[in-house]
Amino acid sequence: MDSDAEMPMSSDEEMLDDEDYYDYSDDMGEDDDGSGGGGGGDSDGEEEEEGDEELVGGDYEGREAEGSDEVVSRREQRYIVLTEKDINERQEEDIGKVSAVLSIRREEACVLLHHYKWNISKLSDEWFADEEKVRDIVGLLLNGIDLPNSRKLTCGICFEGYSSDVMSSADCDHFYCHECWEGYISAAISDGPGCLSLRCPDPSCGAMVLQNMINKLAKDDDKVRYARFILRAYVEDSKKTKWCPAPDCTCAVEFVSDGNYDVSCNCKFSFCWNCTEEAHRPVNCETVSRWILKNSAESENMNWILANSKPCPKCKRPIEKNQGCMHMTCTPPCKFEFCWLCLGSWAEHGERTGGFYACNRYESAKKEGVYDETEARRERAKNSLERYMHYYERWASNQTSRQKAQADLQKAEKEQLAKLTDVFGIPETQLKFIIEAWSQIIECRRVLKWTYAYGYYLDDKVKSEFFEYLQGEAESGLERLHQCAEKDLQSFLTVRSDNTEPAPSIAEFGDFRVKLAGLTSVTRNYFENLVQALEAGLEDVHSTAQGTTSSNATNIPSKKAVTKGKTKKQLPRTSSDNSDEGWPCERCTFINPSSVDACSVCDKHRY
Amino acid sequence: MALRRIIKELKDLQRDPPTSCSAGPVSDDMFHWQATIMGPNDSPYSGGVFLVTIHFPPDYPFKPPKVAFKTKVFHPNINSNGNICLDILKDQWSPALTISKVLLSICSLLTDPNPDDPLVPEIAHMCKTDRLRYESTARGWTQKYAMG
Repeated sequence: MDSDAEMPMSSDEEMLDDEDYYDYSDDMGEDDDGSGGGGGGDSDGEEEEEGDEELVGGDYEGREAEGSDEVVSRREQRYIVLTEKDINERQEEDIGKVSAVLSIRREEACVLLHHYKWNISKLSDEWFADEEKVRDIVGLLLNGIDLPNSRKLTCGICFEGYSSDVMSSADCDHFYCHECWEGYISAAISDGPGCLSLRCPDPSCGAMVLQNMINKLAKDDDKVRYARFILRAYVEDSKKTKWCPAPDCTCAVEFVSDGNYDVSCNCKFSFCWNCTEEAHRPVNCETVSRWILKNSAESENMNWILANSKPCPKCKRPIEKNQGCMHMTCTPPCKFEFCWLCLGSWAEHGERTGGFYACNRYESAKKEGVYDETEARRERAKNSLERYMHYYERWASNQTSRQKAQADLQKAEKEQLAKLTDVFGIPETQLKFIIEAWSQIIECRRVLKWTYAYGYYLDDKVKSEFFEYLQGEAESGLERLHQCAEKDLQSFLTVRSDNTEPAPSIAEFGDFRVKLAGLTSVTRNYFENLVQALEAGLEDVHSTAQGTTSSNATNIPSKKAVTKGKTKKQLPRTSSDNSDEGWPCERCTFINPSSVDACSVCDKHRY
Repeated sequence: MALRRIIKELKDLQRDPPTSCSAGPVSDDMFHWQATIMGPNDSPYSGGVFLVTIHFPPDYPFKPPKVAFKTKVFHPNINSNGNICLDILKDQWSPALTISKVLLSICSLLTDPNPDDPLVPEIAHMCKTDRLRYESTARGWTQKYAMG
């Protein structure tokens, strides 16, 4: 019945939207002319997307150069994606800097920086305060020891005699043959990154083994591993940089400013920089941790057993009833036969209890409340399990839809754009709106998925009702966008072998483009507002609203606060509140003051 | 490499044996030794003869040997299995160390136990709070297990 009711409403919305989208096509034209971006009406999402585009591919230095020429650079970058090459370049730059300032060799600068966790200012402070002390702590001897004037030396590890040209020391006076050095270094490297603080083999000596010795004496694969440990230390010692957790990705992300922790890597994986789980706005790290733990916990299996089974009256093992008959038989060796309803012995059943299929004992016992304790506990567990399954199933199905959308995005990038170019002669650069639509669907599926974890842990009943209303609106809006991108686009891709119907015209495709781009924009704005509202804890919902029959009727006061120089976007409002508090834009749902006739976000006119 | 080094250590021990220890291979297997440690005179283990087993790893001396007491010892850093809590047998191992030096370190551990890094917390506690009882118990164990 709901679907029947929605049909005409949906078509009405489409008709109305079609008229509005003619204005949007002007904006598209402007973009095509290449007049440049950076208009005041740009949304946060667009800023983020542009930032992501800038970060994809190319050297870090190159990106810096490009950024300085574009409007994008004036907007605050929250994070920087670093490729392995970027990390190596930064590291070498730091080493070179320290080497020059402290007048030391590069390999010495490297061990110093590692010791001070690549914190240059701390290293400089300590060095210039007491250089000798720092050298002693780190194990940097001041001058190398000349080889003694002796024809033969004894290696302190294998105790064999060697000539001095096959002996080496860590700039101290403890000499070991090159074969033993190789074994010593190899054992240290195989033990892990502790090899970056490797000292002279003599137990009483603290001289540091530098990378030049590693490169001279180690086996080739050990050199490679040592270099990799140095690179990894640069990221792992830093408090501002973390590896992307996606499998097989070699990038790291540097977090440079305050803001939300969701970041997107070059490999397209989005994760929370704080906890390195998958990106999870609008819920916080703690909720994600609890939700993930709950999904994997064995306790849910136990909960299921508790909610769906009863214990055998004799041996107490849980039994699930899988057939209609109430006559239960426990598995061997117990073999006890009992009634599922009253859990009494089946031997006592019969005409005396009202017949085999009617259990008067159960009914009368139920009235007396004999089963209250056990039954109530089982009922509570079942209700709890059903609630969890309700949220989990929807969380999981949005995850599945998201993965499908990711596959569709790849398909669009690889096949569909080229096909549309063939059919309509439109260059692929003008078909980006399709990629943007799929990207938006993927992001919205992610947000919607985590709203179910949010809802599971939301205890406030009034907020729950309002939350579910907002979630429902988000869901239906996203379904419209998903449908348009998935099915409507298909009609322009199908090549008809017969000539019974004319092929879609360029004008029809133009209309489709306006519609899809508009839905993308509206959905993005709604979801951004939703995320902000949920992150703020639905603060506009007051306890005074208690007792209202519907959250739709809740009187939500409009609050506009200036946060970090930006106007906070308001929640979508029902039309009944228009006259008092302002009017919501039909395109982007922004609440505008009554005195304004055009939306301050998307410039659409009120009437 | 490992075998050459082990043979060299054995020759050194035979040529210049330390005063309170002896060590050598159990049989034909050069990677499995047995050692005896005389209880230090200035410790409650005095008069005892403690049997110790030594296993060399294949990548010796770049990895430490596995050393364990065979004789029961009442000591905060040695457990009932004979495992020894000694830093040079673990993370502080260096290939420049030898069995001779390891055995000397174990003698030092018998003289000066380290209750702050215990393997047997109860003995460590006794060692710190009731030194006389710890010493008398250790002496009793020595007479019972390490003599005769």
